[in-house]
Amino acid sequence: MDLSRALRRFVARRPPVFLVTLPGATAERLAVEAELRSRGWPSADGPAGASALVVAGDPGGDQLAWLGETWRCVPQPKAYAVVADAVNGPGALDEVSELLVRAAPEMGPVGAAAPGEPHAGHTGHEGAPDHGADGDQSSHAGHSGHGGHYGHAGHHGGVVAGLPIAERADDRDGLRLDRLYLNLGPALPDWPAGLVIGVALQGDVVQEAEVRSPGTGVAVHRCPFWSAPWLLAAGGETVPCGAADRRRCAAHLDSLGRFLAVAGWPDPAARARRLRDAVLADVAPGEVARSVRRLTRRIRASRTLRRLTAGLGELPAARARDLGITGPALAADGDVHARLCVWLDEIERALGGMNDTRPLATDGAEGPRGRIGGATPPSQALLDVLPVLLRGAEYACARLIVASLDPDLDELVYAGVAHG
Amino acid sequence: MLDDVIFWTLGVLAVAAGGMVFRFDSMARATYSLLLSLLCVGGLAILLGLDYLGVVIVLMMTIEMAIMAVFMVMFMMNPAGLMPMSMLHNKRGGAALCAGVFVLLVVGIVLAPWPERAGRADGDPTMALGQSLMGPHMLTMMTLGFALFTTIVATVVLSTRRGRYDRLGDDLRARHADDPVRGGIGR
Amino acid sequence: MADTAPLWGVVLMPFALVAAAVAAAGLDAAVTAASRRGPAAALRDLPAPLGEALRLLGQQRRRTDVADIVLGRVGIGLVPVAAVLAAAVLPWGFRAVTDPVAGIVWFNAMEALAWAAIWLAGWGPNSALSLIGGYRFLAQGLAYELPHMFALTTAALGAESLRVGDVVAAQQGLWFVVWMPAAFLVYLLSALAMAFWGPFGHPVGRDAAGGAVVEYSGADRLLLLGGRWLLLVVTASFSVPLFLGGGQGPLLPPWAWTLLKTAAVLVLLIGGRRLVPVLRMDRYMEFVWMVLVPLTLLQALFAAVVVLDR
Repeated sequence: MDLSRALRRFVARRPPVFLVTLPGATAERLAVEAELRSRGWPSADGPAGASALVVAGDPGGDQLAWLGETWRCVPQPKAYAVVADAVNGPGALDEVSELLVRAAPEMGPVGAAAPGEPHAGHTGHEGAPDHGADGDQSSHAGHSGHGGHYGHAGHHGGVVAGLPIAERADDRDGLRLDRLYLNLGPALPDWPAGLVIGVALQGDVVQEAEVRSPGTGVAVHRCPFWSAPWLLAAGGETVPCGAADRRRCAAHLDSLGRFLAVAGWPDPAARARRLRDAVLADVAPGEVARSVRRLTRRIRASRTLRRLTAGLGELPAARARDLGITGPALAADGDVHARLCVWLDEIERALGGMNDTRPLATDGAEGPRGRIGGATPPSQALLDVLPVLLRGAEYACARLIVASLDPDLDELVYAGVAHG
Repeated sequence: MLDDVIFWTLGVLAVAAGGMVFRFDSMARATYSLLLSLLCVGGLAILLGLDYLGVVIVLMMTIEMAIMAVFMVMFMMNPAGLMPMSMLHNKRGGAALCAGVFVLLVVGIVLAPWPERAGRADGDPTMALGQSLMGPHMLTMMTLGFALFTTIVATVVLSTRRGRYDRLGDDLRARHADDPVRGGIGR
Repeated sequence: MADTAPLWGVVLMPFALVAAAVAAAGLDAAVTAASRRGPAAALRDLPAPLGEALRLLGQQRRRTDVADIVLGRVGIGLVPVAAVLAAAVLPWGFRAVTDPVAGIVWFNAMEALAWAAIWLAGWGPNSALSLIGGYRFLAQGLAYELPHMFALTTAALGAESLRVGDVVAAQQGLWFVVWMPAAFLVYLLSALAMAFWGPFGHPVGRDAAGGAVVEYSGADRLLLLGGRWLLLVVTASFSVPLFLGGGQGPLLPPWAWTLLKTAAVLVLLIGGRRLVPVLRMDRYMEFVWMVLVPLTLLQALFAAVVVLDR
């Protein structure tokens, strides 16, 4: 048994971590990501590839149900940690290490429905059969926390083994093919925290999309991380322009990192994230400016990336304005690549303004995702346009479109706006 | 001796896997069972000393069956046989037909008066095959190739709903084809 | 020129292949760590693949609901098996485990087997994302297989033989890469595509949470992802006998030259990966059929004319 203990100890030195972020927990996510990077722990693509599930944010209510589902998909030996406050990041990861060495009886999300218990209130999983007995782990088709069939059983062809069967409908090219209902999110890698999109898939083509319960009903009484300077200024506080520009730069670098990771370019994605953390850490603009410019130049110069992303998710400015979209998505006046370029421009522009100490204007301010202080937060308009843009897109393209709009659900849970 | 063992193993496996196509109720299993059967046939061809033909059977059949599986599943997107589903229509008739043909062939093989070998086998069967295909039968092969290719193109043209006028405008002058999704061939 | 290896070579070959795959994966891990956390981390991450393999061996295997376990496991197992079988015709120096008349076609057939296997692995767990990954690899196969076959044909044409030993022998004096550069480049691209690695890693892409491997853990995951590295090493090292003169070179023994050239090709591929994002087949297909297929055909025509003129 000494050997297996030695093996556990060895694994615990750098376990792959599947990081799930809850809406409103951006600061925690950043802390965990930075800590993972400094330790050199890999970040898993999904629960099956992970040894540990780390949750950024304080899960409650509905969230525990799908977190429990995700947790069950992590193979033994495994560890679970919650980072409810950004300062606890390092401690939580130490704890993960320890749990893996001890191989303690699993301590999953507390309050999660036990295996076999129907998960009331959760979208989908109706009548999930009893499974997961004696250590042999089961999960539903694609339910690994990143997508489950959602409740369309009413007009379905039938249910087999508790899972809804595909039904038929006309496809994009005029063929009558099977369609499958799936939930994308909330625990997909590099996916906006808390977002759930219900899609009807034919093969890998999205026939219909519907934004479902963003924010999962939990209201967070904390200022959304990325638009905080503008919201504070609107609330009457004096915020220097430079601080706002710093936040904008970091916000776009964050979006950029997510986008590049989805596009499958891990190297510059990791670079963007490192620079984001440097910008947030109040490093003097001169120190990061060169690295940032080198990164933006490299991305802009990539003809491959342009070829791969051109023509996806076209959103002309006139249409965007009608839909109430402001910010980069409006300025881009075009496809996924155009929006990417707007981010790059704004990153470079924000670099120059970081030393500005004048106070930020209190009204009509443009945050990283659009105009702040309107009736609805800017991300709401981005969410509203998603179903239209996703229709007819292949799965990979749909991921790129979502990543290029990058709605920030922190804004929604803060405002308490519920949708769907 | 070893050859006999290999022959009977592959032969029995090929027939059994072929039979299982009728038994499986999952399209993926049926397809790959057929593939197994064909791979065994390829092995038998190699055993006969026809290396090239045998390996080509393995190569082509693998590609063919993988694509066939997709085409069948494309019309029934339910992963891993959630619902029992046969790929066969008229299962009994099909099975009877196949069994009949099999028996006929076996009887033919057993009863036919096979001629004695005249002359010696070619040292390099691959070369001999190439010579006989591309030598005296060059014209046949070329004609065959063109006929197959024309059939493929014609089938695609007939089955596509949108022609070039839909895609490139009435005077075919549009720079980008009006397709549901950009990219792909023949912009 | 090429002899078949003695029995110990047959036994040794899979282990040598695994060692090469571990070395390649280690190099990749080191390069990744260096670009993310500085050169100091590179050395620390060099043995990371071994650690990952150990971790996966000690891990529980997952099972999904209503999965087709048989087909899934067949698919997973086929990947490393196909890689080893393809390596049977790979000459180390001038000796291969076997050197059949149709060696090049055999190599291609084994690759096709791996191709069908990934779809099976994606199909097995009864999960949508995993099946999407499987489909992506089939689409990828349709893109790379044709130019790949033409590239192989061009090398065989230059040697007027499908036997790998003859192809190596025909490069005495002048390597094929010199007068078949297009075929060589296309071959390298398809080598990456075949191993669904790097820019062609879409079937196991992060956007689909791992695609074909999304539901696998433990030994299953190890076989699939390890088999991928085996495939990459085998396809990359097959470019050496095809285009780089095999074991030919001055001073050093043939096996050393093979090793050196293989290492160089692998370093080139692993280093080059960082330059491009993952290619989606709906876009790449156009490039392949409009550019690469005609290019390889022209290359084959050129080779044929040279051979006729000889």
